[in-house]
Amino acid sequence: MAKFHSLYTSIAVRGPDEAGIPLADDGFGRVGGAWHSSWLGRIGEMQVFPTYLGATGIASLICGFIAIEIIGLNMWASVNWNPLIFIKMLPFLSLEPPPPKYGLSLPPLEDGGWWLTAGFFLTAAIILWWVRMYRRARALKMGTHVPWCFASAIWLYLVLGFIRPLIMGCWCEAVPFGVISHLNWTATFSVRYGNLFYDPFHMLSIVFLYGSTMLFAMHAGTILAVARFGGERETQDIVDRGTGQERAALFWRWTMGFNATFESIHRWLFWFATLTTLTGGIGILITGTIVDNWYLWGVEHGIAPEYPRVGGLPDGPPPKVVIDMRQRAASPPGASR
Amino acid sequence: MRWGPALLLAAVAGVVIFLVTVPDWSLPRRGTQLGGRASSMIQFAAGPAEDKLNRPPPEIPAWARDIRPASAAFRNVKVLSDLNAGEFMRLQTAMTQWVSPQQGCGFCHVSGDYASDAKPEKRAARLMLTMTRHINSAWPDHVGAGGVTCYSCHRGQPVPAQVWYWHPPVPGHPMIDGQEDYHETATTVRKFFPDEGFEEYLLEKTSGLGQSQTPLPSGQAVSQIEVKRLYEVMMQMSDGIGVNCGFCHNSRAFFDWRQSTPQRWTGFSGIQMTRNINRDYLVPLAAISPLTRQGPGDPAPRVGNALANCATCHQGAPKPLGGADLLKTFPELKGPDPHVALSGPTSPPG
Repeated sequence: MAKFHSLYTSIAVRGPDEAGIPLADDGFGRVGGAWHSSWLGRIGEMQVFPTYLGATGIASLICGFIAIEIIGLNMWASVNWNPLIFIKMLPFLSLEPPPPKYGLSLPPLEDGGWWLTAGFFLTAAIILWWVRMYRRARALKMGTHVPWCFASAIWLYLVLGFIRPLIMGCWCEAVPFGVISHLNWTATFSVRYGNLFYDPFHMLSIVFLYGSTMLFAMHAGTILAVARFGGERETQDIVDRGTGQERAALFWRWTMGFNATFESIHRWLFWFATLTTLTGGIGILITGTIVDNWYLWGVEHGIAPEYPRVGGLPDGPPPKVVIDMRQRAASPPGASR
Repeated sequence: MRWGPALLLAAVAGVVIFLVTVPDWSLPRRGTQLGGRASSMIQFAAGPAEDKLNRPPPEIPAWARDIRPASAAFRNVKVLSDLNAGEFMRLQTAMTQWVSPQQGCGFCHVSGDYASDAKPEKRAARLMLTMTRHINSAWPDHVGAGGVTCYSCHRGQPVPAQVWYWHPPVPGHPMIDGQEDYHETATTVRKFFPDEGFEEYLLEKTSGLGQSQTPLPSGQAVSQIEVKRLYEVMMQMSDGIGVNCGFCHNSRAFFDWRQSTPQRWTGFSGIQMTRNINRDYLVPLAAISPLTRQGPGDPAPRVGNALANCATCHQGAPKPLGGADLLKTFPELKGPDPHVALSGPTSPPG
């Protein structure tokens, strides 16, 4: 019997090329010839290709290429086409959505129009990829669980970049394209709406996110731990309980009194992962549309405890100052600058 | 013999050595809880770099007693006319020490004709003296009884080390949106942020109220871009005075004054004071002695004058120069200007 390592894969099986089942649908079909990589064999299947592209796959790749191209060329142009500065500044470069003055109208290209165009093509690419994924699952007579997980992530993406901006009436509400800029956007968004921690759907999303990682570690650890008893054949063990399954079940029953089964653990994982982005999307969707300050909402609903007052301060800035601050100065500061 | 594990170990050791030696690390500092229990409003003690920058100012030797009015003893005295000649000369010596120790009196004065206004630096110094006296008399909310002198910002340099420059926007590309004007040479993220926030909050009278004060939408929450600038300028402020958000705010409700510490009043008046001196003193200063600078990362020369932000005086410490009582030695730097009425805290901070 081959030695089964439980921390890293040392078994790479090289068999005859697997071409897959015959195709029934369109003519784009399968592309690429099979080849083998011992390096990829260390982290997965040794055989690479053939893959399936199809009409939706090709359309998705073209749209994705256009989107990345628009984003990248905008960033590169914004540093005067200097390749070194482009690489150095890449994490900080950004393609920003239109400023508030354009609302939902079509802005000029240099003022958010490129962002809108890139967003359109990126969304088209993602949705076409989803269609492709769904159709591949059906073609293999599989369930469509994976496409629905992916749809949950797309839901969050659409809420952030499309649905919520539509409801708020401004493209400016959407997320910029850029590494640091989208992180800044996230931090700013939470501060702007009085701390997302008090958003119950944000709470749920975090529960499912952290829960997913915990369940994933529990499950993967369990299976690797009973692999020496054949437990890695987990779906077979669902109906034909081997000693691996029995030991795994017993381990968790001894540890916490209750155990999932080899079948139900996958449903736990599926729902935790899918609900992360589903609830997250709801949390974002209701922020700014039906709740404006989550901290104050939390106070109203008894989830934000009162701390003792530090003292020494008025309840707010002086009213006159507030009025001054609210009114932007009409006069330019100073005669020249 | 298998080389894999050995190579892996060597690679891990290399990464660890790189991470320990190459980036700039500083040891953890002692923290003090400012707010209630579990509020995480912690202020960390100053680091050695900030301590070094904020030692008390150099001693200025006493000048011979001379009780003649300065305006009688010297010609063309316009700002310090209420001083006697002894005080006047002591302050002149001090100013040279504070602002132009290398250049000496000749930095402002024409050699041989000290009364001449030929040099723009002299006219600038007059305006700056007026500003110092204004700060000390009009902004006790921020500078307290200790006040400021030229040294608070200048620290022995004609242009203070930490300033920002207003500069006209670089003409945009006809087809492409411009990027943020980051400080590419910065060593920390906070110093990396663009100066736009300074312009909005320390030059323009932009409202600092960004968060909604009602649970449900009422049109009070400002736009994402405004909050971004506010966020940046708050980070720059924290960096400039060496504090965390929790020094003034309870981060769960930044807007709420009832959960803030008394330091928020000092910071709030400091923003107004900096705006006041930028608008009414430092922008007009540009008309007297304009500066043009081009830093290593600047796409175009930065025209205009150096403007002040929190770091200009604080240099990374909550109390600049260790909170030294500067007006005790130079009471003449407190001017006649009335206290700017912010209708201060209802009860004394503390």
